[in-house]
Amino acid sequence: MYDKTVRRRRAVLALLVVLSLILLTAYFGEAPGGRLHSVQRGFLTVISPIQDGANKALKPVRDLVGWIGDTVHAKGERDQLRKQVEKLRREVIAERAEKQAYAELRTLYGLDHRLSISDYRPVTATVIAKSPNLWYSIVTIDRGEADGIHVNDPVINAEGLVGKVTLAAADGAYVSLITDSSVGISARIGTSGAAGILQPKVGDPSDLLLQYLPSNTPAPKGALVVTSGTLSSRDDSLYPPDIPIGEVTSVNSESAFRSVNVHPLANLHNLDVVQVLTATRHSTPANLARLARSLPPGVGANSPTGETLASVGGGG
Amino acid sequence: MTAPLTPGLAARIAAIVGFAVLIQISVVSEVPVFGVNVDLSPLLVVFIGLLCGAVMGAAAGFAIGLLVDLTLLQTLGVSSLIFTVVGYWAGRLREVRDPQAALTPLLVGAAGTVIASSGYSLVEFLLGVDAPVSLQLLRQIVLGMVVNAIVAPAVWALVRRALQGSLPEDPRRRRRRRAYTTGGLSPLSRA
Repeated sequence: MYDKTVRRRRAVLALLVVLSLILLTAYFGEAPGGRLHSVQRGFLTVISPIQDGANKALKPVRDLVGWIGDTVHAKGERDQLRKQVEKLRREVIAERAEKQAYAELRTLYGLDHRLSISDYRPVTATVIAKSPNLWYSIVTIDRGEADGIHVNDPVINAEGLVGKVTLAAADGAYVSLITDSSVGISARIGTSGAAGILQPKVGDPSDLLLQYLPSNTPAPKGALVVTSGTLSSRDDSLYPPDIPIGEVTSVNSESAFRSVNVHPLANLHNLDVVQVLTATRHSTPANLARLARSLPPGVGANSPTGETLASVGGGG
Repeated sequence: MTAPLTPGLAARIAAIVGFAVLIQISVVSEVPVFGVNVDLSPLLVVFIGLLCGAVMGAAAGFAIGLLVDLTLLQTLGVSSLIFTVVGYWAGRLREVRDPQAALTPLLVGAAGTVIASSGYSLVEFLLGVDAPVSLQLLRQIVLGMVVNAIVAPAVWALVRRALQGSLPEDPRRRRRRRAYTTGGLSPLSRA
């Protein structure tokens, strides 16, 4: 009797472990359009209304807990922001004069066609769920293909770049945040213009790493890092240029290239409302993205990363 | 001893799991504590194992893992694999040791969290995720263990209360009854 129980127990364990390994192998080996990915996509379609409902019902609880945490941090942030305001005020005065001259030059050379965020047909969405896992920085939003959202669409909020859409169903979509290990962004340091690839430091959700910068790139602490408006690979998302991503916190000097640590501007722990930039078919941004993907890697690029140049003018 | 799988027990476990995953992704994941989030899933798995035994612990671990992977767009099978092992371990702990100390939920919850996060990291490394083994990762695992240990007694109380009616007998009550029947401790024997 005892032997039978032990055998049964071990058989159940072995069966479940083998089943997990089969699932893992099949999922890892298949293409993003494969059967298991489709099951996941179907599951999202089913549960997104439930998540949406739960999110709305439990928002007061979340707000209350968030309010306590925010109050604790508010004092420190206030002092930091006061210093920042002083610094920015001085910069604004200097930049106003430069902006005036820049606008005059653009008009003079006929370069005054600029794409703005509204050209990307932003769709406002609410975050309804978030992954608790250290390895995945994914949130679920309550808008999907029915609203014109597609895979790889950039996602922003009032503070800056948030991430990109990695899976879209009819009424919902998964957004991989900029701190997710699968996301890489072509970015540049605002002050120097040096471009590189921005990737998260896995295991440290508050830190990003801007890599492959030329070794002599100046990267002052506090400098703004923005999207470069270029593609780093054909599967990448074409983020509009000049969307703020984060601030330089420190510089690491390596052998051939320089990399800098970047702190994201968007508070990714407390996302509520985001905007998905859904460049519609045949719109200027969509055409530029298609053109950029059709170019072989390195064409038109001056950066050491060999990225495809697809700049679409000054956005934002 | 493993609790027999009755329809009532299965329904209760399914309800707890569904509710916990919904709460996890809608509220708990949005509220960082010391820079990390409370993760209810490993706690749920170890407590089901601790209350229902190894077979139920492993089965619940597999189901919870699958649900978490499906809901959060993670690599299917990773959480199932880890949670199956964690649930089995918790169940075996109950069957072999039957721990009764007041701190058991806290310690088992913390241990389950560490095993789950370390196992997850190991599998992700084996799958080729480009991540440095850093102090930051260690910090996240340790802090995750601490915050999960803090909420473990409350989760334990809720899970035990939810499953109580469908379990054959509570180990604590069984031990107390054994003590009474063997004499000496029963107030009735003194009278």
